[in-house]
Amino acid sequence: MRLSDKSRVKNAAAALGLIAVIVAAFTYLKVNPRDILLAVPRFAGFFVRNFLPPDFSSLASYIPLIAETIFFALAGTCVSSLLALVFGFLISERTNSIAPLRHTARVVASVFRNIPVMVWAALLVYIFGIGSLVGLCALVLGTLGLLARSYAESADGIPAGKAEALRACGASYPQILFHGLLPEFIPSWVNWTLFSLEINIRASVILGMVGAGGIGIMVQTNLRLFKYAEAMSLIIVLTAMILLTELAVNQIRRRLK
Amino acid sequence: METILSVRALRKSYGAFEALRGVSLDFHSGEFVVVVGPSGAGKSTLIRCINRMIDPSSGGIEFDGVRLERARGAELRKRRAKIGMIFQHYNLIGRTNVIKNVLHGRLGHMPFIKSLFGLYSMADRLRAVALLEEIGLLEQKYKRADELSGGQMQRVGICRALMQEPRLLLADEPIASLDPRSAETVMNHLKRMTEQRGICCIVNLHQVDFARRYASRIIGVKSGAVVFDGKPEEFTADMARAIYEGGEADPLRGAAGDSVSDGTDYIEAAATPGGEYAAV
Ligand SMILES: Nc1ncnc2c1ncn2[C@@H]1O[C@H](COP(=O)(O)OP(=O)(O)O)[C@@H](O)[C@H]1O
Ligand SMILES: [Mg+2]
Repeated sequence: MRLSDKSRVKNAAAALGLIAVIVAAFTYLKVNPRDILLAVPRFAGFFVRNFLPPDFSSLASYIPLIAETIFFALAGTCVSSLLALVFGFLISERTNSIAPLRHTARVVASVFRNIPVMVWAALLVYIFGIGSLVGLCALVLGTLGLLARSYAESADGIPAGKAEALRACGASYPQILFHGLLPEFIPSWVNWTLFSLEINIRASVILGMVGAGGIGIMVQTNLRLFKYAEAMSLIIVLTAMILLTELAVNQIRRRLK
Repeated sequence: METILSVRALRKSYGAFEALRGVSLDFHSGEFVVVVGPSGAGKSTLIRCINRMIDPSSGGIEFDGVRLERARGAELRKRRAKIGMIFQHYNLIGRTNVIKNVLHGRLGHMPFIKSLFGLYSMADRLRAVALLEEIGLLEQKYKRADELSGGQMQRVGICRALMQEPRLLLADEPIASLDPRSAETVMNHLKRMTEQRGICCIVNLHQVDFARRYASRIIGVKSGAVVFDGKPEEFTADMARAIYEGGEADPLRGAAGDSVSDGTDYIEAAATPGGEYAAV
């Protein structure tokens, strides 16, 4: 099948446009792709000489901070999933019949959703100073919008007939919510919450770098003190931690139906 | 026969379109009424106005001596609790087990806190078990509802409705999604169980042959108006043809098929009845 001339011209124009944008970006940034390629061996050499082998000798002293990081992610996920549940039910048509309230909640959630965790962290550190609570708040605020919207979409996906059947039995709003909607909602609730746990584990590692608590601060400090081998050991541990979380989450997902 | 439901000059319009144009009917206890008519005739609208899943535009509904068209809030819920309903798509809570689905029929009779902790009375539990036994589903009572076949789900739907101890049972195309054999089983149970209990049953059906076999009274609806109301023997082939004329292809063949579409999808999407819990 041959493309018509018109659509070929269109495709060519699109490709040219894309190339132009990419070239413009590199030019504007004064980045020469050749320099990047030439830098690879230099970078690799530096990395091998300074970061390897990783130095695990003082790892034990970091364990409290690593634990703190994990607990951050867990606590953050917990709090945001509960808040988002309320928020999500305010957004969903299935659970909230008051249109203006629904739309307001949706707008608020979208705003939250589009502010990254790091921006929250930076903002909160600026306002409240360095501390652990700041990190927790940043995680909660950072995932609240995403979770609320996902929950709302899942709730909207429950067939209207289920709630209708209970309504026809004379059930009240809370009864319809607890006996009709929640049971059907649980799988997506767990799924989205696990998803946000994965996000939060990653985010909580980085949060420390802006002083919002957790192990991130030690990665930063070691790098600044040129203790590269020690930093490397931390990076390996954190990567393992993230992978393990993912593995665990996938296991839970598979078991849940 | 005691009159338990009177519908008077019932109208329902969607914008300029009139789905019901002044329907007046009396229903009596122990009756098995089948409402037939082409798709879009207003059968679902009629049945859903009765228990106020849809708010009628005007007219009166008197059930058990109470005017339903004016009921709101808790009062409306109390009345609904006495009217059972079964649906084309069964509308069971799939992740909940069978016996709990049946017990949902008691929700309208108990306070929220009690139902939250599953504190159904012993009498209710026994009755739920008895109903499941009567309908041949006792073995499935701890199965999740979404593991059942369509015919089984609809039987659970019947049990849930009967659990309400209703005086009136509404059924909107209860067999439209079932194969002919399950359809027959479901209709047999529905007929026998409502008859034994003296419940008035109003069933919307597409299939004229089923209507003739089961109904004690047939009501023909066309374009939002009643065009036939009488005994099954009086419902002649000519009458059926007249009702379905301009409707879909040959209803007289009428075996249950899965191609039957009903109007409930958009009804469910658009209905915003007057109770304060309309969205749920
Ligand atoms: N929410 C709605 N908005 C607009 N029109 C509707 C709505 N619900 C039903 N109707 C119309 O009302 C008529 C009767 O519908 P319905 O009672 O579902 O018919 P039946 O159940 O006999 O197939 C149909 O023509 C349908 O298009
Ligand atoms: Mg219908």
